[in-house]
Amino acid sequence: MATGTPTNGPDDAALSSDSGTEEVRLEQFQYDDGIVRLFATATIVWGIVATLVGLIVAVLLVLPSITGGLPWFSFARLRPLHTNAAIFAFAGNGIFAAVYYSTQRLCKARMWSDVLSRLHFWGWQLVIVLAAITLPLGITQSREYAELEWPIDLLIAVVWLFIFGGNFLMTLIKRRERHMYVALWFYIATIVTVALLHVFNNLVIPAGWFKGYSVYAGVQDAFMQWWYGHNAVAFFLTTPFLGLMYYFLPKAAERPVFSYKLSIIHFWSLVFIYIWAGPHHLHYTALPEWASTLGMLFSLMLWMPSWGGMINGLLTLRGAWHKVAADPVLKFFVVGVTFYGMSTFEGPMLSIKSINAFTHYTDWTIAHVHAGALGWNGFMVFGMLYWLLPRLFQTKMWSDKLVSLHFWTGTIGILLYIIPIYAAGLMQGWMWRAMDDTGHLMYPDFIETTQSIVPLWWLRVVGGVLYVSGMLMLGINSMMTWMGRPAEYENPVHTAPRLTKTYVDHTPTPTSAIDGAPVLELGKKVSVWSQMGWHRRWERLPVRFTVFTTIAVVVATLFEVIPTFLIRSNVPTIATVKPYTPLELAGRHIFVSEGCYNCHSQMIRPIVSETKRYGEYSKPGEFIYDRPFQWGSRRIGPDLAREGGKQSSFWHWTHFENPENVSPGSVMPDYGHLLTEDMNYDAIAPHVKVAAYLGAEYTDEELNNTAEVAYKQAEYIAADIVAQGGPAKAYEKQAVALIAYLQRVGVDLFATEEPAAEETAEPADTDTESSEETAEPAVEEAAQAEHGDGPNQDAFVVN
Amino acid sequence: MSQVTEYDNAPKTDHAYDGIEEFDNPLPGWWKWLFVASILFSPFYFLFYHGGAAGRSVEDQYGIALAENTRLQFAEIGDLNPDEATLASYMNKPNWVRVGQSVFKANCISCHGREGEGQVGPNLTDEYYKNVKNIEDIAKVIINGAGGGAMPKWSDRLHPNEIVLVSAYVATLRGQNIESNRGPEGKTIPPWPEPVEDEPETPEE
Repeated sequence: MATGTPTNGPDDAALSSDSGTEEVRLEQFQYDDGIVRLFATATIVWGIVATLVGLIVAVLLVLPSITGGLPWFSFARLRPLHTNAAIFAFAGNGIFAAVYYSTQRLCKARMWSDVLSRLHFWGWQLVIVLAAITLPLGITQSREYAELEWPIDLLIAVVWLFIFGGNFLMTLIKRRERHMYVALWFYIATIVTVALLHVFNNLVIPAGWFKGYSVYAGVQDAFMQWWYGHNAVAFFLTTPFLGLMYYFLPKAAERPVFSYKLSIIHFWSLVFIYIWAGPHHLHYTALPEWASTLGMLFSLMLWMPSWGGMINGLLTLRGAWHKVAADPVLKFFVVGVTFYGMSTFEGPMLSIKSINAFTHYTDWTIAHVHAGALGWNGFMVFGMLYWLLPRLFQTKMWSDKLVSLHFWTGTIGILLYIIPIYAAGLMQGWMWRAMDDTGHLMYPDFIETTQSIVPLWWLRVVGGVLYVSGMLMLGINSMMTWMGRPAEYENPVHTAPRLTKTYVDHTPTPTSAIDGAPVLELGKKVSVWSQMGWHRRWERLPVRFTVFTTIAVVVATLFEVIPTFLIRSNVPTIATVKPYTPLELAGRHIFVSEGCYNCHSQMIRPIVSETKRYGEYSKPGEFIYDRPFQWGSRRIGPDLAREGGKQSSFWHWTHFENPENVSPGSVMPDYGHLLTEDMNYDAIAPHVKVAAYLGAEYTDEELNNTAEVAYKQAEYIAADIVAQGGPAKAYEKQAVALIAYLQRVGVDLFATEEPAAEETAEPADTDTESSEETAEPAVEEAAQAEHGDGPNQDAFVVN
Repeated sequence: MSQVTEYDNAPKTDHAYDGIEEFDNPLPGWWKWLFVASILFSPFYFLFYHGGAAGRSVEDQYGIALAENTRLQFAEIGDLNPDEATLASYMNKPNWVRVGQSVFKANCISCHGREGEGQVGPNLTDEYYKNVKNIEDIAKVIINGAGGGAMPKWSDRLHPNEIVLVSAYVATLRGQNIESNRGPEGKTIPPWPEPVEDEPETPEE
């Protein structure tokens, strides 16, 4: 808690002294519940959409060819739509409903500007609609939960920070309640941090309206993305939901909150520690090891701050458990908070490196996030809505039985989802690693490991169906409740005194319980400090509170970001690693656009079972031209980090046509459209120009004659395909660019190993500039030795 | 707030927000001390792994594990050469053919099929060969590739022993004539040489 220094400045004394003389002016105001009704409705609508799309992608995994290869309906394009809809549309609108309802009441003030409230609502829905259009079209950055392209990102920044943030902060400033309640602290942290994460993770150089290239590359790009990704979970799916919990749970239970002190300690520790934990998404990758260790340690430290929220929630229910048995709202909250406790225990556990080595890339992660999303986020929103709807629509819930049914259907749905998927993660993780006693992989055939978990994927579909039915029950119930609304909503007028400029602190000057005791003065000071009077003062100062929160988050960030960007040895240079050719760059764009990273990682970890399966582990220096990085997070298909040269170009062609042709039992859909759609060579130039602008070396020929250069390389590959028994004129089609890229992935590391052999053995190699590469045989040995001076140095050839 | 319970004896703050009150309960002891413990643990962990001691970094540990694995795999056989005698000998050692099969499954089935019956790549179970005239050629094709890249080169992906063993496995596929959609390709070639009985069979592990 960097900011936790006691401040009893002189201004405090001044504030308390000359007050009392100012006259108390009563003001009348009405709450704006119309905006809450809008957000609540949007929450329900998008909740149904998000879970339905989730169900669709779950079905696409078990029946990959059901859509007949429609490009905008593939798993890899729809999965980001599902995650974005669940996070930003469903949970997003849910927290806005919570914020707009509770903030007004906690501040005794209407939202500062009705216009901004409406702009926020409609602006956010516009973002969602744009996401729903662009993602299936393959317009994506491929950064998980930040897939949207830069024009939409700009819109998000404006809507979030200026419209929502501005309106919220002004409401705090114009409030009529002296102190800010803990829910508001969490809202402040949410607004500030999400803005920060969003802006710094999405810094790009545009290459047209629908494509931007990250200003970060490779290792640093991965670091920034998971700084964002992890803290999106923290500050979009955790802190605002804790705020929601702190308002709606005591309201529904009609019980005081368990501990004010716990609120303070767990708030600040959560906000400060969360930011560090991002690198635990990148254990054993090419991320520098110190960063990964920090990520793990701060994740462990995060366990108790997270549980502070759970304790404060569950213990608030002490004395109200008889109500939980009767009230579905509280049931939703109890299950929600319990899932929060489970997830925030599991998170630190999964961040332990040796455990992560097993679970990473498996379905365990998927089960973990769904326990959080369906259990914590979903159920907290449902509890809130069932408490709010009768109040918003000013009538009884249409059917209390249906609420109960939703609770049970949803709970069983979650269990039926996560239990099989945990099992799938364990099973596949074990099969990937399993080696027999002669040291060989027991399941060398990747598809065998996938096939063994398909039955569990079917069970998930069943769980998903149940959860979606629960969503539909909520939809029907809220619609029917809305139909029963009064002709005109009552909007009572409230009265409260305006806050005086000055404030008399009536609480007695804190005294230490050990005042008379023979202890050091310091001990007494600590005793007084621990009564949190200093924090009480902060709660009166919204702007200062916001600044302190920002400092906590920024300081924690800089501790990790600065070394990551400044220490050169983080990314030892490999001289043979060269920029992608124009055609390969275009192919990479297709790879990103099709969402291949949703199923294929490009990151081989230094783990024997993994290097035996995929090849030499990935080095940081290999990714310096990767914008954005494509390390992936789940291996539904095999890793592709050493895919270059592993298959013939014709094999790839056949594989895109129909994966079943070459990999019976594959769950990959066909990408036939890449074989039929024409390659637009004129569209490549902007990509190369941006890459060059960002520091990749290109010749004048490549920059000015991009289309021709690319076309030439395509002809080489097309000739290979013909020679290998494939169709003619492959160079006309998009697949040729993707093949060019795939044949390049991961080969540069070996470019100087056997230069002569490479040229003679593969005269018509896809890698047309291989001659250029091999002309520079100097690997920076020093940089390499520094990074790996063990028996592994000589182990390039051991697969 | 509704009804008084035994918990209401706890000290309460004077806070009230929209009817929400707050108790002034202390931090639960177990919570506080677990939090402190997680903080105290961190510097020790960090120093242990990043204090500069050898053998603790991820790369070091990988090197150790890899050496151990290589020993486990190949200590018995040492370094094999892809020559006729070795191949002919190893294609008759079922334990080592199984190892070759494992390599085959990890790398070759996407073109040659799970049984070697051929898909994008040729059928390996019949009597016809495109680039192979004798048993050594199998290893040569694997090492250098063939067919203008249709068969990629594997020299920098597989351990030399793995190349020998997978070649031996491929040699054993000959004549199985598994049903295939690939017709005969290339020419028939003389049968593989008989193994030289030089040493007693490697004992079963």
